[in-house]
Amino acid sequence: MVAPRIVISGLGFVTSIGNDRASVSASLRELRSGIGSYDFFPGTDLPVKVAGTIKGFDTSALQWAGWTWPDGYGIKQEILRGMAPHGLYALCAVEQLIADGRLTTDELASDETGLFCGSAGSPRLMRSYLNQIHDSQGLRVPPMGIVSAIAGTLNFNLAAHLGVRGAVAGFSSACASTTQALGYAFDEIRLGRLRRVLVVGGEDLNTDAIFPFQGMRALSRNPDPARASRPFDRDRDGFVGTGGSVALLLEDAEAARARGATIYADMLGWGQSADGQSIAGSDPEGRGLVRAMRRALAASSVAPAEINYVNAHATSTPAGDASEAQALRAVFTEVGAHPQVSSTKALTGHGLSLSGVMETGFCAVSIAEGFIPGAANLENPDPACIGLNLPRTTLPVAPRTVLKNSSGFGGCNVCVVLRRCDK
Amino acid sequence: MITIPVAKKRAKETLVGFPPRVTAAYLNVAETGSPESLDIAVLGVLHFYLAKKPAEPLDTLPGTTRLVEDLGCDSLTMMDSVFMMESLFDIKINDLELSRLATLDELRAHLRQLVKVGAVPAT
Repeated sequence: MVAPRIVISGLGFVTSIGNDRASVSASLRELRSGIGSYDFFPGTDLPVKVAGTIKGFDTSALQWAGWTWPDGYGIKQEILRGMAPHGLYALCAVEQLIADGRLTTDELASDETGLFCGSAGSPRLMRSYLNQIHDSQGLRVPPMGIVSAIAGTLNFNLAAHLGVRGAVAGFSSACASTTQALGYAFDEIRLGRLRRVLVVGGEDLNTDAIFPFQGMRALSRNPDPARASRPFDRDRDGFVGTGGSVALLLEDAEAARARGATIYADMLGWGQSADGQSIAGSDPEGRGLVRAMRRALAASSVAPAEINYVNAHATSTPAGDASEAQALRAVFTEVGAHPQVSSTKALTGHGLSLSGVMETGFCAVSIAEGFIPGAANLENPDPACIGLNLPRTTLPVAPRTVLKNSSGFGGCNVCVVLRRCDK
Repeated sequence: MITIPVAKKRAKETLVGFPPRVTAAYLNVAETGSPESLDIAVLGVLHFYLAKKPAEPLDTLPGTTRLVEDLGCDSLTMMDSVFMMESLFDIKINDLELSRLATLDELRAHLRQLVKVGAVPAT
């Protein structure tokens, strides 16, 4: 049996840099930042002052009935009752994907369609529910507390709402979650078990979701929204949190073509590894990420010199970016390969478990529309980046083959390889 | 019976997104102990959580309307509604009694019994 070609055939975006593909594309081209001032605890003067904000939504109410979203979506308010704020973002992203991918209700509910998600759950809702339980000494237990707040909330809700019957799974590998979801989705299609998988990532954007990272001193203290997230820069001081949702349709190319869907890119393969060292930090020498990149390239039958663009994981933390820079030099520079490298987190902030599918979506748009996003906010590259091509501006060059890196807590490294679809 | 200030606070905090008619009925229960207002509030809560909502308020439907068969009231809808009614009225709805409620009339009657409407309202 010949392995099927696997393609990206639908996208949906609710991100800090745009709530649809066109605005995301424009932001990537023009290096328009989605980061703004954010008051984590109003009335205080905490050192963390910025976040990648989501525009057009209001999920500040604890009750789902108080949430609002942009016009044009066919969302019935009552389906939000088991959802977290990022569930609302995801509904909008999936609705865009369904239209973009020309998916019918029958195809969504087919035995051949799966749903793989990544989300950290909703710390804010969990806090509220647990407070109610403790305050009432067990007499008041919100019925939807579990399904709306724990880490599987996206897959529970979307699978039921969409009627997905092929497979449903949630991935919980922190910032590598949705890249890993893409990898396993690829395998399911490659093995012939499914014809398509919706890969969806989502994160809340609120104090409870982001501020706890301050405990590790992982958040940027730079108050300037336009310059706080500066991956690979010598003066970076931490990441800027963001939320949102991105939905990506990975599909057998034949099925996508038969439906007349837009094909953004082929996914050629993926690879993963584990550092085997730290709970949270990356291997200082980037050895785990080197293994993951090499495995992804080998699985895709792609040589380092064929990679035109790397969308780096780089979150703007001092240790993480240096580790990735070393890994990139080992895989590329040391064998004479010089792909362009940038981290789009400079524009969006770090979307945590959402980031992998979000940035893979950005790569798909870049490939389809023919540009390489520049390394925004990069003024003085870290010495660890010597030998890497870090374009300061967006390049009007169509990348043919692209590598997307992700790394998460627990030393989880995951990389995917995409290629322009040859007509 | 709950006091009027408590009812106002709860209405503001928990009846987010509910139709004004339901909120007004809830406040009127606290103010007057009106059984009719209690019916509107209780059925308004159930209506809010139904996945497929009838176009008209539930209190205008026949009392014999069945919760499961006619309104499609699943267990999650029932649990959400019960949680909200318990929170609004400081009552506890027993699981066994709940399982015996099959129609709008039975739900109304049970809630009238639990909330003890008609009593002198607290202030």
